[in-house]
Amino acid sequence: MTDYQHKPDCSRTVHELHTFLDREITDESRLRIQAHLDECPPCGHAFDFEAELRHVIADRLRTEVPASLAERIRAAIENAG
Amino acid sequence: MAGAELHRTAPDRVGPCGSPPTRRGSYPECVADQASFVEDTQPFVGPLFGTAVRLTNNRSDAEDLVQETYLKAYRAYDSFQEGTNLRAWLFRILTNTHINRYRSASRRPQEAELDDVDNLYLYRRVGDEGISQSAEDDLMDRLTEPAVSEAVAGLPEHYRLPVLLADVEGFAYKEIAEILDVPIGTVMSRLHRGRNALQKALYDVAVDRGLLGNGTTATRP
Repeated sequence: MTDYQHKPDCSRTVHELHTFLDREITDESRLRIQAHLDECPPCGHAFDFEAELRHVIADRLRTEVPASLAERIRAAIENAG
Repeated sequence: MAGAELHRTAPDRVGPCGSPPTRRGSYPECVADQASFVEDTQPFVGPLFGTAVRLTNNRSDAEDLVQETYLKAYRAYDSFQEGTNLRAWLFRILTNTHINRYRSASRRPQEAELDDVDNLYLYRRVGDEGISQSAEDDLMDRLTEPAVSEAVAGLPEHYRLPVLLADVEGFAYKEIAEILDVPIGTVMSRLHRGRNALQKALYDVAVDRGLLGNGTTATRP
């Protein structure tokens, strides 16, 4: 698509995509990645896409809970009492 | 039971009543009270059920799994340390219960590896198809609930679970490591591969459903 992946900073940044979005990195790494994203629109766009995709996936996987389930659990616990 | 072991005190923690642990590492005056169990655990019925549905792919089995989880948790509640991570503790019991129930015939998880794919799989495929930036929003819209469900259901369980725990439930790596009883490094590697595998599966499902790959350009192998 583009050649941005071949720049060392880009490939390093993309490599750290998940830990960055998970907020599971050091402050130092986070600032370095953020600085790169600010000055590299292709990487910034890719990260935005990934963040949005995660949001969409989580949204689609939300499940309606049967109204009876909580009561069923309560009854089972009382019986186990 | 393994689930009851989860938060049996780390020595560096201070008890919920502000007291340091005893030499045996417990907070005797602060143990969780079975009488408050239902109230304490009520907020987690929904999240546990949601994950159970994705584990069992069946709402009826998921209800059974959640009920069994709650019964086990209730019986073990006096070993749970109040003030520690109740949500993670319940998820750990759910996970163990599921594994014991549905994997008793073949206890070893299937470790069949997926083809490894790099980060940004879907993003790059979409780029390969020449989809414009504005059309990316359409792609998100076309990733409907059935499409995402199908893609997730197709993931091997040792990838599916960490991805659900991280991306739907929002657990931290450390919590997932405790829930699944694996090292953090294993969590990170399964998450990494699981997310990339999910993106590949999403792409495949989208193509199968005619949402992508409509002959705009041939996709690269």
